[in-house]
Amino acid sequence: MAIKLHDYGLSGSCYKVRLLLDFLELDYEVEKIDFYPGRQHKSLDFLEINPLGQIPVLDDDGTRLRDAQAILCHIANKYDASGRWLPHDPARFGQVMMWLMFAGGELMAASAARLHDVMGYRLDIEAARRNAHAAFRILDDHLTEREIEGGQWIVGEEPTVADIACFPYTALAGDGGIGHEDYPALRNWMRAFRRLPRFQPMSGIAEFT
Amino acid sequence: MGEFRDRWTAVGLEHQVEPGSSNPAIVDGHPLAIWRGENGQPNIWHDRCPHRGMRLSFGFVRGDTLRCIYHGWGYESGGQCVSIPAHPELTPPKTICAKVYPATTRYGILWTNLADEPSSPLPDLGPEEGWHPLRSLYVNCPAETTADRLRGADCGVPDAKAGNGGDGIATIETGSGLTLLIAIQAVGADKAGLHVVARGEDARASGQRLELARKMQRLRCALEAQ
Ligand SMILES: N[C@@H](CCC(=O)N[C@@H](CS)C(=O)NCC(=O)O)C(=O)O
Ligand code: FES
Repeated sequence: MAIKLHDYGLSGSCYKVRLLLDFLELDYEVEKIDFYPGRQHKSLDFLEINPLGQIPVLDDDGTRLRDAQAILCHIANKYDASGRWLPHDPARFGQVMMWLMFAGGELMAASAARLHDVMGYRLDIEAARRNAHAAFRILDDHLTEREIEGGQWIVGEEPTVADIACFPYTALAGDGGIGHEDYPALRNWMRAFRRLPRFQPMSGIAEFT
Repeated sequence: MGEFRDRWTAVGLEHQVEPGSSNPAIVDGHPLAIWRGENGQPNIWHDRCPHRGMRLSFGFVRGDTLRCIYHGWGYESGGQCVSIPAHPELTPPKTICAKVYPATTRYGILWTNLADEPSSPLPDLGPEEGWHPLRSLYVNCPAETTADRLRGADCGVPDAKAGNGGDGIATIETGSGLTLLIAIQAVGADKAGLHVVARGEDARASGQRLELARKMQRLRCALEAQ
């Protein structure tokens, strides 16, 4: 099989990749990484695959990629003939990139809070939650504006890789002790996302709400 | 004597509570589930499943029934449990009932009252018609302080004059006949919700409301900076 994902079921970052593979109905092979408690992503063998010691990693016909956002762009660019998931027109491309960077940047504070609460990572949990709330506020403000304009997705009239990249850690925020009370537009966007055809749930994210 | 004062408090904008959804909210530290069935009727309940205490805001709506995400017990609008999936043959006893609060809409805002026997009137700012929803937003600032600070805060709208619309209500009026109604939700010791609707020619088009929604973000920054 051409596509292989180094994957861990409870990883929100790996989930980003699985979501797009499933939306596009692509076949892929899974190499399971025992992230917790095994810490296999820090093993000498895995560090040869990704010196950052992080998952996901994608192998695709000799191309090896790390970083969920980069992988999403690669898959959309190579396999999505419709161009919907990664629009190339100047009005949308830059915005999609901007929100991808946000998903891999500011929003990862929500992932940190979850790693602390669920997997016992030692980090400043108060700071992680504060930063996650700050990121959710930015996204909720944006989605509120989109609602007022009559839009439902982060960029444009259809879901893109930006929505996929922002979805997992937003939906999993509760695992890190971060509630959705303050973010009505975020909640409605998450519900719309879950209703997409071929949406696949993961542990902690129900299929329907 | 109940825990809560007899007063109506805003908990959200009516249009943002979608049919078929269950949503979390907090009033005075008390967790609420706000849900709407397919029949459109809003429900505001204590966010606690009578079975094992799971949050009902995590539940999902099927038709006009709210189902708990944990063991799937189903509840009808009155709070009554109507189905227990593990015992399909059983008619659930009347005693299994969620704690229900009143849910009313006015001016496009959803209101509740947590008192044991609510009798105070709903906030009255004139006729129901003509209000457009702007947005809900939350400030890291207690409700009372928020109400005080709103008077002097820079919201970036020219000629804005802040006024008091009663308990938990602030207004902002401009020279051009625009009125913003800000209903303040006391969330907890250091957080308040602002549910904002607008009336006037300047709030008719979506582009105008977008501009005003951005001003509310500016207002939030100003409130938190003080
Ligand atoms: N920038 C990477 C980060 C991915 C990431 O944080 N993965 C987690 C698992 S969900 C991980 O491998 N953490 C281990 C580490 O960072 O040491 C991406 O977006 O894919
Ligand atoms: S806790 Fe709600 S059904 Fe069991």
